[in-house]
Amino acid sequence: MVTPSETENSEPIERRSFLGVVSGLIGAGISAVLGVTIGRFAIAPAFSSSGEQPWTDLGPLEEIAEGKLVKKNVVVTQDAGWGKFQTQRSVWIVRKGENVTIFSGVCPHLGCAVNIKADKFICACHGSEWDEGGKTLAGPSPRGLDSLEHKVEENKLKVRYQDFKQGISSKEVLS
Amino acid sequence: MAQSKLSQLHDWLDERTGIKQITHELLDEPIRGGARWAYVFGSLLLLLFGIQVATGIFLNMYYVPSADHAHASVAYIQKAVPGGWLVRGLHHYSASAMVVVAVLHLAQTFLYGAYKNRRELLWVAGVVMLLLILGFSFTGYLLPWDQAAYFGTKVGTSIAGEIPVVGPVQQKIMLGGNDLTTVTLSRFFTVHVFLLPLALAGLVGLHLFLFRKATPAGPYHNRDEKKVDRFFPKQVFKDSVAMLACFIVLVALAKYIPAELGPQADPTSDYLARPPWYFMPLFQLLKYFPGAWAIIPAAVLPAALFGVLFLLPFIDRRPERNPFKRPIATGLLVLVLGGAIGLIFLAKHEDNANPEFSAKLKEQEEEVKAFFSAPFQPQIIGGAAAVVPSATKVAGPVPDPPQAYADHCAICHGDKGEGDPPLLGVASKPQRTKEDLLKIMENSRGYGLKKPMPESFPKISPEDKQLIADWMALLK
Repeated sequence: MVTPSETENSEPIERRSFLGVVSGLIGAGISAVLGVTIGRFAIAPAFSSSGEQPWTDLGPLEEIAEGKLVKKNVVVTQDAGWGKFQTQRSVWIVRKGENVTIFSGVCPHLGCAVNIKADKFICACHGSEWDEGGKTLAGPSPRGLDSLEHKVEENKLKVRYQDFKQGISSKEVLS
Repeated sequence: MAQSKLSQLHDWLDERTGIKQITHELLDEPIRGGARWAYVFGSLLLLLFGIQVATGIFLNMYYVPSADHAHASVAYIQKAVPGGWLVRGLHHYSASAMVVVAVLHLAQTFLYGAYKNRRELLWVAGVVMLLLILGFSFTGYLLPWDQAAYFGTKVGTSIAGEIPVVGPVQQKIMLGGNDLTTVTLSRFFTVHVFLLPLALAGLVGLHLFLFRKATPAGPYHNRDEKKVDRFFPKQVFKDSVAMLACFIVLVALAKYIPAELGPQADPTSDYLARPPWYFMPLFQLLKYFPGAWAIIPAAVLPAALFGVLFLLPFIDRRPERNPFKRPIATGLLVLVLGGAIGLIFLAKHEDNANPEFSAKLKEQEEEVKAFFSAPFQPQIIGGAAAVVPSATKVAGPVPDPPQAYADHCAICHGDKGEGDPPLLGVASKPQRTKEDLLKIMENSRGYGLKKPMPESFPKISPEDKQLIADWMALLK
């Protein structure tokens, strides 16, 4: 009976390390191909852009109460992976005659829902307040409310909904 | 200097983890008779299981186990996500490879008589793992929810229902009801991604532990009795080369013959179901046993086969390991494997020889190709009445609905549209005309309603439909 150590002694040391290195390279190669493939697959959404939102109808202009802060829901289409999701988002409309401003209902601070209290916009989450022009009056919000692009066509008010980057002082569209 | 720093680090780690002992245990295992290519199958199975776990976990980032969305999400993975074809392709082909390599591993162990000499539990754990692998195949096959998946599983669960006494209950448990539905998909998904992986991982650990306890059996002859290799490096090298070859084949298959995905399951179609290749022998056998005799291929033969496999090390207790001196055992292996392969070819041949079947199968193949080569179409979700806006609750009292509504619709939609699904607010959707309200009644699926109205929707006269639409238009 020959013990393993005796056999090993007859084995040239270079061969042992050569086979070991090749095995290690093969293992590393397979892991790398798998890792890169799966990694790219997992982080892919970070490198795709969501399409531009179409114009959404908010109804006849004169039906929007004047001088009030009016909440309306708009249908937005979200490109989310395997689906196009028709979902709703809130916007706030301030109308003075023909003059209309539309604000996103998302707080520019951390994304809570904007609400109203008396004639002011507020965010109950962290106490930000804005005037009816969207200017910050109080609280941690880094900028005023985000106004949305709008137009009046055939007497109908239309808005293009957008999402903006939160937590920074400038208004940057997320795409 | 660098060397000593490295060995200092090694010592530091060893004091805290015992790494030197662990490496020694893992790599210095003696292999009687020397390293061999015949021993690579176990390591290959570990690689394949690793690939399945890694790709499977990440496929879940995009996959949705719901009958409504499963197919769209798999199509998205296959056609749209960068590298999705490769992740899914590897998962698909590794699954088949696991069946092949598990059978090779079992055949090698069988031929070498390596289940003998206190290796009964090691063998039994292996046979259980083969069953689990087949369970993975069966449950995973349904998940893409395409035609082949739906009808294949329909047949598979029906076969399970054929078994006397326990069959019907067993089938109902598998389906989660009387029919193949989204509930079935959820169950198969749960078994496929939680239960089976846990069970298989546990058994892999047990199998390896028992293997190390029993030590490798070595060759069946005594010619190399004096030769002993350590697991590292010679066997590790052979294992690595086999893994590399296997991995290259898997990637090449995923690239040049992409994992198939046919059109979404359509229960109303006259789809000609054919099982994946590893269930083909069973499929072919079913043809020979009409009516109640189907029990033989569906239950008796598989039960007998696995019964023999489980009991083998307890029945065959002769110490002889040379396959040439065990004619019954070797003959049985050749018969079962040869028979299975023969049945696969016979099934293919019969399909080709039958003009009706071959035409239909060809047509289905064309449908798969057409769907597969078409660009990805995202599924449209919501729209229409999916979300009732809070801002458009009904103002004031709702007028009484027409009699036809009360007779046919109120049972679900409520006396005044407040039921489930609700009708309140349907008229105030953007661009919704009275004509749309009429069309929704005809074709609710076309309007993307989450719960389409039942096929048995009672025939309501056009005049009554108009009255109902007029009334619905008031539900702003």
